[in-house]
Amino acid sequence: MNQFIMSMDAGGTMTDTFFVDDTGRFVVGKAQTTPADESIGFGRSVEDALAQWGQSPEAVFPKVATGIYSGTSMLNRLLERKGRRLGVIVTAGMEDYFQLERGIQTYLGYSYQDRLKVLTHRHNQPLVPRERMKGVRGRIDLFGTEAIPLYEHEAEAAVAELLDMDVEGIVVNLLFSYVNGAHENAVKEAALKVMERKGKSVPIYLSSELYPVMQDFARLNTVTIEAYAAEPSRGQFQKIANRAKGFGGQFELRVMASHGGTISTEARELARTLISGPIGGMVGARHLGAELGIGNIVCSDIGGTSFDLGLITGGEFTTKTQPDMARFVLKLPLVDIDSVGAGTGSYVRLDPISKRIEFGPDSAGSRIGMCFEQGGVDTPTLSDCNIILGNLNPNNFLGGEVILNKERSYQAIKERIADPLGLDPYDAAEGVLQLFENHLRNEVYARVFGKGYSPEDYTLFSYGGGGPMHVAGYTKGLNFADVLVPAWAAGFSAFGCACADFEYRLDRTVNVATASPDLAPAAFEQGFNLLSGAVNAGWEGLRAKVKDEFSKSGVDAAQIEYRHCLRVQYVGQLNDVEIELPFQEIRSVDDIREIIERFEAAYSKEFSRSAKSPELGYLVTNVLVRGVVKVMKPALPNFPLHGPEPTEDALKEIRPIYRNGKWHDARIFDMDELLPGNVITGPAVIEASSTTFMVPPGAEARLDQHLIFHLRHLED
Amino acid sequence: MSVSHDINTLRELKDGKLSFEKLHGMISGFKDADRFDKMVKIWQDSVEWDDPILLPLAEHLFVVRKPDGRRIVKSTWGYEYCDVNENWKLHAKVFVRDTEELINEIYPDKLGCDPEWMQLREYYDPLSGTLLEVEVVPPGYPIVHDFKPDIDTFYRDWLGRPVP
Repeated sequence: MNQFIMSMDAGGTMTDTFFVDDTGRFVVGKAQTTPADESIGFGRSVEDALAQWGQSPEAVFPKVATGIYSGTSMLNRLLERKGRRLGVIVTAGMEDYFQLERGIQTYLGYSYQDRLKVLTHRHNQPLVPRERMKGVRGRIDLFGTEAIPLYEHEAEAAVAELLDMDVEGIVVNLLFSYVNGAHENAVKEAALKVMERKGKSVPIYLSSELYPVMQDFARLNTVTIEAYAAEPSRGQFQKIANRAKGFGGQFELRVMASHGGTISTEARELARTLISGPIGGMVGARHLGAELGIGNIVCSDIGGTSFDLGLITGGEFTTKTQPDMARFVLKLPLVDIDSVGAGTGSYVRLDPISKRIEFGPDSAGSRIGMCFEQGGVDTPTLSDCNIILGNLNPNNFLGGEVILNKERSYQAIKERIADPLGLDPYDAAEGVLQLFENHLRNEVYARVFGKGYSPEDYTLFSYGGGGPMHVAGYTKGLNFADVLVPAWAAGFSAFGCACADFEYRLDRTVNVATASPDLAPAAFEQGFNLLSGAVNAGWEGLRAKVKDEFSKSGVDAAQIEYRHCLRVQYVGQLNDVEIELPFQEIRSVDDIREIIERFEAAYSKEFSRSAKSPELGYLVTNVLVRGVVKVMKPALPNFPLHGPEPTEDALKEIRPIYRNGKWHDARIFDMDELLPGNVITGPAVIEASSTTFMVPPGAEARLDQHLIFHLRHLED
Repeated sequence: MSVSHDINTLRELKDGKLSFEKLHGMISGFKDADRFDKMVKIWQDSVEWDDPILLPLAEHLFVVRKPDGRRIVKSTWGYEYCDVNENWKLHAKVFVRDTEELINEIYPDKLGCDPEWMQLREYYDPLSGTLLEVEVVPPGYPIVHDFKPDIDTFYRDWLGRPVP
């Protein structure tokens, strides 16, 4: 072993570190998160991980090629409202942004029922209080022309007042600044003048520099979060990087970002590292797919609290541009992934009126369920159902670290679910799980079919601590090309973070239209200069920015691989579609024809062919540039294949499991003892310390040379 | 099985001391079947008189049973208004804002109504002077009878027991 990749995830309670060597061998270390100085928890976690290899950090770190950070400290700073003291300057008349919150933020993240229940809606505590929101008159119109000149004396007065209030930074977000940033620049100049006069200096954040995209409120949120929560993280990153250097590390620490790539801790747009947790798995699945030659993948991840679903098509995932997070609407690229259901720790309840079974939305999380007496949970969870049916081994949770009480699970399900329904507790528990798996299956089917694809063309990946337990249930009858369960399913997110390229993705709103070449040829030809000028200038500007960002990490410009994308929609419609172009400059009308062709192909896949409406022309809303620098990624393990029959050591016991209304004698295997090539026929349960893989009657699982299980339904 | 909330939680709910997260959970969750009895107990504990509360009627007002069996409307401070079937407002102190000057005390300048068209009637508890209710009606409009509860049916059909 010559080289290592390290990724770390500093969660709310635990800091995980993941090391993988160039043969694909890996270890996971855990330690308590230390929020005041995360590098302490990081150091302990590293020691915990490497001790499993009998190595010291000092021996391994000099050979670490890549180090990736992901964590929740930025998010926590935001949720706890412990960010920096800011002032905000907006267009006069718009000072109440944070009080109005476009209405929508009063119910973001709510269930559908709660959205309808106005009583539950609630305004958030503003990041910046009303008295530090200052309005300045002046107006740029939507075409970028100055309609009212900026009242510079008002800008100066606003800055002076904010400085007197001891702000630590000033955010400037004026209307239509994404088309023309002249007024924001003028505010900045005024601010610099005032600061010089007062002998005070604070950083200024212009939305036209950081996030030149339309939708003023989402843009304001994004720039404010950048200044409020992201900027203070740089200090933490520095401490962690220093600790790594102290161990002899030579690598540059990078951060996982919402667009699915990693960026430098020195990046200008750091707010996008706010959301990184759930996308690690998607990045890992994309990498694994590329290694295995699989382009179309459905990613499904069941954790303790949620079921996350995402699609990879043709080797790429799609990106949302207006995600919401922590009850903020944002303008950031986020890998398109949806939480669509309950997780294994979700509570199971009976509606007292309708006697209908309901899952969640709350969950026991790390407290597992009634079976975990010390957890203090008083409502049964899906895990309780799995325990009494024999699916989960109460003595093997986290490798036996936690012993679960089956009797408590049984009593809870009997009293809360089975008795009120007049059912046998085992039938009730099986019914609950079937309902859960049916729900997941419908969601999986809807995601694939709803985008115009068919499950036969996709391979499903199942991971997360709870994915392998239910994967057979939610894939049955869907005819996926293949169903894959990596043996390292529980650590897949951390693995995924280690698979991410070094990538910047920057965008800018342009909003230029072109007529259809077939329906209005003259107008199409005439509009050529306008469109090509805007797109070419946009791309060029973004390329320069990307290059600039990479240069902070000392990356040579020749190593950067640029990808040029546009977001396009029909004029008059609301949904834009992202397409990648094979050129970096529009040179001829044929190039525009190419844009239209690619847009229409993508559009008719996602929406209905009959919804096409070229008569009003096409609108290019955003230009995007992705700059990618390939980095070393974890190698796929590759072992010689053995015969289909597992060795005797692998068989732990025979245990009854309840399925389809009767008890079966299931063979219980130890996942670590199975050999590549082994084929397990259901009913069987494959146990590892952090996950349990269920192979029900009528299914079989084959372990391949890469330590990935292939699940097959024999009856389909 | 049915949902049930701890009596201290309900007391905090009444006093407006619950965190929003907890309150949200209660609003969105299933309804608790025993809420009525617990709330009556909380209200009963909060007043200094002993007549049993049959039904909370409005803020600070309750329907109580007197020792002789009469059901009357009584305030937190012990003022006894009238029989439950009568309108308690007829026995309260009334202050009518029916001139521009009086209306402007509450709604300055152009924010108030035209006294020719609308007047504000304020009803006060005679013992404590607490404002209990405000009516906004055209001049001459009869006193509004807000709520005339059918206590017998409520106890029989909803709580499944006779009125105590």
